[in-house]
Amino acid sequence: MSGALPRALEDGLRLAMPFVAALLVGAILLAITGRDPFSTYAELFNEALGGQSRIAATLTAATPLIFTGLATAIAFRAGVFNVGVEGSFYLGGLAAAWVGFAWIGLGGTLQMLAALGFGAFVGGLWMLLPGWLRARMEVDEVVTTLMLNFIAIGIALWLVNGPLLAAGSANSATPMVLPEARLLRLIPPSTLNAGFLIGLAALVAYGVWLRLRVGGFENRLVGLNPRFARSVGISVASVILLAIVLSGVIGGLGGATHALGVVGRFSEGFSPGYGFTGIAVALLGRNRPVGILIGALIFGALTSAGTTVQLFADIPLDLVQVLEGTVMMLAVVEAVRWARRRRAVRAVAP
Amino acid sequence: MMLDNVLHAAILATTPILLAALGGLINRQAGIVNIGLEAMMLSGALAALIAAHVSGSWAVGLLAAAVAGLVSAAPLSILVTRFGANEIVAGLGLNVLIAGLIGYLLSDFYGVSGTLRLMPVPTLPRIDLPFIAGVPVLGAILSGKDVLTWAAWILVPLTALLLTRTRIGLRLRACGSSPATANSVGLSVPNLRDGATLAAGALAGLGGAALSLGLVGLFSEGLTGGRGFIALAAFYFGRNRPWPTAFACILFGFFDAAQIRLQGGGLPPELVQVLPYAVVILALTLASWRRRRGPSPEP
Repeated sequence: MSGALPRALEDGLRLAMPFVAALLVGAILLAITGRDPFSTYAELFNEALGGQSRIAATLTAATPLIFTGLATAIAFRAGVFNVGVEGSFYLGGLAAAWVGFAWIGLGGTLQMLAALGFGAFVGGLWMLLPGWLRARMEVDEVVTTLMLNFIAIGIALWLVNGPLLAAGSANSATPMVLPEARLLRLIPPSTLNAGFLIGLAALVAYGVWLRLRVGGFENRLVGLNPRFARSVGISVASVILLAIVLSGVIGGLGGATHALGVVGRFSEGFSPGYGFTGIAVALLGRNRPVGILIGALIFGALTSAGTTVQLFADIPLDLVQVLEGTVMMLAVVEAVRWARRRRAVRAVAP
Repeated sequence: MMLDNVLHAAILATTPILLAALGGLINRQAGIVNIGLEAMMLSGALAALIAAHVSGSWAVGLLAAAVAGLVSAAPLSILVTRFGANEIVAGLGLNVLIAGLIGYLLSDFYGVSGTLRLMPVPTLPRIDLPFIAGVPVLGAILSGKDVLTWAAWILVPLTALLLTRTRIGLRLRACGSSPATANSVGLSVPNLRDGATLAAGALAGLGGAALSLGLVGLFSEGLTGGRGFIALAAFYFGRNRPWPTAFACILFGFFDAAQIRLQGGGLPPELVQVLPYAVVILALTLASWRRRRGPSPEP
């Protein structure tokens, strides 16, 4: 007896359930603190999607999450629990900013491409150690990648306070990147930039890779059943290593587009936890390209709306964090399966 | 005395990490990796400050800290043990949720963003030992420490006893090492794991109080500054055993206290802060290397 839920509907439910629950938690919090949840949510919705400039802001906020969500998903597919995308994002952003302001004389598009490429390279390089440790030494990647986040942030902070600090700058930031290294703004004056398109392209490439290339199939197989994969002659270690490094590459590319597209340099507090939100995005999206896009858009909408609502309606931006945390906690709850099992039990019982 | 100053500061800096790490290792022994220690410390730190200010008693503050830590641990535990949530993701989510909740409530109730100062606050009393205080090194280690520091170090052997010598300790460890077996002999694995997680929450909450009431006398959103993750690093380094974990905590507390003083010595503080995390990766690698090099089982 199987619950007759079509898979798409079940995926949709899985995506919607944590959000509905989070909105409930948020509503309770708003009500307790004497605010009207309905008008607040209406305002959030309006701020996220009301008009071209608001939509552009939402897409901008979604862009880093597309990268971090995708980066996490690539590793998840291979059964690797990479929680270190935040670190790759940080270092990728710093590396790209460095190429953007220090490699003078490349000129034109080459400057931008070199910066993007170097960001992606450094992001991937950063995952080489945990990847190798996991693939060859069987060291648990959850702890190593988690710890590497703090190390990456520490190194980036040190560089940006010392060797790479902009001359005459009091706050921890690199110099601005050269104008030719900046990513194209799609709808000026909004900060929506070509990084969003690169993210979409990466999602499409991921979808194609999963379906067509042998590599994608191997990656999935290793994630689903490593012993079987090994017995049919797949080198599990190299698939795992590839997945985690690729995950770092995408994370680094995300940081690079953020530095070149939005911030224009690298500064302290470069990422407010995009890597961690990316975990929620990947889980909600079930590691599928369209799911990741939807998840990134929803979180992006929350962030962009939260920022303006804080400014104009005196509702602390922290509300968005509350919603986001709740979604993360509930993202992996197996409520749908749980409900189906209960139905199945009832159906069997006389 | 330079050395005495560093030792004194290092012992005080160890207390919050040690309390959280003891909770985390009990949790880990029961089979759950607690990534939410940071959140539990943060809520404990805030609750301790408010309760101590309102009641005028640091003891009430400590009680509130333990309760706050426990309450923040509850949703994490229930989601993991009853609803099949992944402990890592749920723990990371809890950190985001609690940080957001605290920020929201601070700006709503106190109209402050980031930092809460309440006057007067009864901070934790420090105990000066009459004769030992004057002895170099020993005095710096033992004298002038607050009650939580003493409690934390008394808890180290007690935790060891709890885990190895008591019925409940053996049951907790059974849940961790073989949940299926524990279940088959009639133990309720979810209940025991809930208990371990709640205990971890209470201890981490006290660790937060050691920061807000013991060290600084105020609350800020960045007060814990990743100490929940340092605690995680400590019990991974100590392989979930109380004494080695306590040793790691002392080491990390020493880094913490020394980083301010090392700034003159050329080592950048940002890199000193990174050391505990690097030490854990090194420890895990060495452990795996030893395991793989060790005698292979007979064919």
